[in-house]
Amino acid sequence: MNGFDLSNPLHSERLFASLQAQTRRHFLRSLRGGLGTIFLGAMAGPLLGQAADESNAYTQPLDLTRDSKHPLSALPPQFAARVKRVIYMHMAGAPSQLELFEYKPQLQRFDGEDCPASLLAGKRFAFITGVPKLMGPQYPFHQVGESGHWISDRLPHLEKHLDDLCFIKSMRTDQFNHAPAQLLVQTGNPRLGYPSLGSWVVYGLGTENQNLPGFIVLISGGNTPDGGKQLWGSGFLPSVYQGVQCRSHGEPVLYLDSPPDVSVSKRRNMLDAIDELNQQNYSTFGNPETVTRIAQYEMSFRMQMDATDAMDIHKEPEAVRTKYGSKIGESSFANNCLVGRRLAERGVRFIQLYHWGWDSHGSNAGDSLNIGFVKRCLEVDQPIAALLSDLKERGMLEDTLIVWGGEFGRTSMRENRSGQVTKFTGRDHNPGAFTIWLAGGGVKPGFTHGETDDLGYEVAKDPVEIRDLHATILYLLGFDHRKLNYPFQGLDQKLTSVKPSHVVAEILV
Amino acid sequence: MLSPRRVSATTLFGLVTLVSISVVASLSLFAPPDGHERATLMQFFGRMHLLAVHLPIALLVLVPLLELAARSKRFSYVAPASVFVLGVATVGSIVAAALGWVLARSGGYSGRLVTQHMWAAVVAAFLTWLCWTLRVYAETTYGKRAYAVALLATVATVSVAGYRGGQVSQGENHLTEYMPAPMADLLGVSAGVEAPPNSPYGGPGTLYGARIQPIFAQHCVTCHGRSKHKGNLRLDSFEAALHGGKHGVVIKGGDPKSSELLRRITLTPSDGDFMPAERGPLPESQIKLIDQWISTGASGTMPSDVGSSGSTATVSEVTFPDADPAAVARQRVEIAAAVAQFQQRFPNVLDYQSRDSADLVLNAAWMQSKFGDNDLSALSALTDHIVSADLSNTSITDKSAVAITAMKRLRILRLMHTHITDTTLQSFGSLEELEILSLFDTQITSRALPGLARLPKLQHVYVGETKVSAGDRVPEGVAHKLVF
Repeated sequence: MNGFDLSNPLHSERLFASLQAQTRRHFLRSLRGGLGTIFLGAMAGPLLGQAADESNAYTQPLDLTRDSKHPLSALPPQFAARVKRVIYMHMAGAPSQLELFEYKPQLQRFDGEDCPASLLAGKRFAFITGVPKLMGPQYPFHQVGESGHWISDRLPHLEKHLDDLCFIKSMRTDQFNHAPAQLLVQTGNPRLGYPSLGSWVVYGLGTENQNLPGFIVLISGGNTPDGGKQLWGSGFLPSVYQGVQCRSHGEPVLYLDSPPDVSVSKRRNMLDAIDELNQQNYSTFGNPETVTRIAQYEMSFRMQMDATDAMDIHKEPEAVRTKYGSKIGESSFANNCLVGRRLAERGVRFIQLYHWGWDSHGSNAGDSLNIGFVKRCLEVDQPIAALLSDLKERGMLEDTLIVWGGEFGRTSMRENRSGQVTKFTGRDHNPGAFTIWLAGGGVKPGFTHGETDDLGYEVAKDPVEIRDLHATILYLLGFDHRKLNYPFQGLDQKLTSVKPSHVVAEILV
Repeated sequence: MLSPRRVSATTLFGLVTLVSISVVASLSLFAPPDGHERATLMQFFGRMHLLAVHLPIALLVLVPLLELAARSKRFSYVAPASVFVLGVATVGSIVAAALGWVLARSGGYSGRLVTQHMWAAVVAAFLTWLCWTLRVYAETTYGKRAYAVALLATVATVSVAGYRGGQVSQGENHLTEYMPAPMADLLGVSAGVEAPPNSPYGGPGTLYGARIQPIFAQHCVTCHGRSKHKGNLRLDSFEAALHGGKHGVVIKGGDPKSSELLRRITLTPSDGDFMPAERGPLPESQIKLIDQWISTGASGTMPSDVGSSGSTATVSEVTFPDADPAAVARQRVEIAAAVAQFQQRFPNVLDYQSRDSADLVLNAAWMQSKFGDNDLSALSALTDHIVSADLSNTSITDKSAVAITAMKRLRILRLMHTHITDTTLQSFGSLEELEILSLFDTQITSRALPGLARLPKLQHVYVGETKVSAGDRVPEGVAHKLVF
């Protein structure tokens, strides 16, 4: 049967191995045709509590199948979209919105007073104990530009671009610690195991330049964010869609280059042989991870040529490097921004920049608002402004979406860890309200959506959940977030998960 | 040999019925009605509840009459009948309760009324069984007294269950709705539908409160109200109406075409989805009023004296475009072969703009110098369909001017870092649809700009790192569109 010759021991071994690949699920699935199961299927399901209808249901998911040799090939979006690529800047640690974009004069008036009990009731804090004191903004604010946005004095370069930014000041989350909150922002779920935003995007859209990964991650600030590498992982999607973390100086990926005495053609021959073996394996077992393996080998071969060129900021003129504040040989946010722009020019679909160190608790100099925070702002202010200006002058801001934000906000109260008052000022985590901004194609420049209360503690108007932000990003890329899904664990999973989400239409052009 | 002890039929009957009641009680406890509709087969059987329920009720009302009649000399012969009647009533109440559960579970019922009705019925079924047991086995005076008490309790419970059942099917105020006013006053009940509680929306001065809410109250709130809300939809207040039900929102402000409520009330009465269910259609004027109210944004605060043609509604929801794959395929049919051929030769360069469009997008930027004039000319059959072209970084030159200007429907054109010169731009006068043009890092000068001045839709021209400088004299029509 099937060309197997059972007298040949190798054949029979192969047959048994392929039979073992048939699981109980395959068997049960094949039972569906029986008459008994037809009746049971109609009655038992409803009897046992399964509803015949579902909210958030869709009619037809999108067909995202591709040739297994080119899993990252570009696909058109569901409907016409302005945005073709995303640059997501995640400030890990949660930057204090009250010291950057949220001007709260009322909070200034109550500076130093005990926090009212109503603000503390029912809340869980990471470090605040007892009754903390309210703390006004630590830096002076002023209004800028035609849009009249308020901004502190910490971001003088970004100020010049304030009229291009679209703020959402009423972001909300339900996670109060870093790792789950970062996972929620990046994967839509506070638990591990779910694909990240970038993975969904390259799953839905692919990438144009097959010589570079479609989803590239660059990290700065000294540490990997608390959520770990799962923040750009592919979850249950085939792992070919995961983010590739590249180093921003030296070899973008270690050991990318062939050893000295292996020529390109030799390497190519080797890869062709490995490819063929993997393809045979795939046609027998159909394991999508095999496709990933093939794709990664191919990708690393092509990256040898293109990636080093893309990541090499030597090739930029001195003036440009000064504009970003980037220095050759360093690993910095400025370098990452410049590399990010080069990657955007070369057709990378999703570029993610993580900058660590915004967790301004005030427990030591490094994470205090009066010292560490100042350094962080200096590190990001100039590069972001330079990136915006570069993209704008190339006309790339029309079809790029830039997102900047953290994972939650910071409290209006000063953090009083173990009841002590130190010379370092800081704020604790506040999932109740935080600010993000977007810029680029499809979003209204110079616009603010949503408001927080007078103390900047809770959202007062137009709350936006993380899943709403995800729905909006997917909409800008040309997808109905309910239709971009992948079957896993009996559910057609989607980035926005099972709770209803809405696209924030108010910020759309 | 001892004969095996036989269980008497009576005992068997008593045990079987008790077990059945417990099954129904467990179903009610663990799988209560939750507002979801389930299999139509279940709903079909569930509807039999209405048929089946009247018999046990009638029999249970009959039993006290039989007992009372049995005390008289004239009708003493009816005394033995009550056991039989109670037995039939027990079976009947079990069947009715079971079918009632099937109906509630499958028919999308939820709420306080249905739950109370369900439990009252289960208790009534149990009490009926108790009455039967006591009547059969009670020999002592004490037992007979217990029987009388149980019988009274059963009748009372059945009355409660029946009253709730009436409220479930006819509405919460089914007895008071048409009660004559003097009688209503005497009893201290308010006839008609209750007014909604304090809310900033839907007050008497608003359009909703004055015109729309009364329509809902008259035709809809019976099944979509406070205590009975089919499909988890309530229409007894503004907030509830806009909140929607288990299928999502039924009213979309500013978009009457996607408002499910409006769709359903405009169907033909024979349609399965027609609303109001089991009643006649709304008057034309009322339907029109609801349509108007929705198109102006379905506001809860708009005053009732504002004309409908005044304010524009702010759209607070996006609607996802719904594509018909057959229509899209038809649009693509004439170019499909050429597109496939080009894609074969240059993968990931040319593709449709979206899954619901036949327009094409060209992006050769990532190919850099591997894409040139000759390759662009291979697109000659498709130039009319290209709406966006990115040829940045490629090796094209002025020789491609003809190919580019043949793309009459081009909206976005990027030529960054290419070797084109003013010559190419001079032929751009025919690109009537052009909105965005990027010439960053090219050799163009301000002499080329007049050619762009008359393009009607042009929004931005990116001229950074070109020979155009801010001080150059440029035509009016293009000066404010330049981005350096």
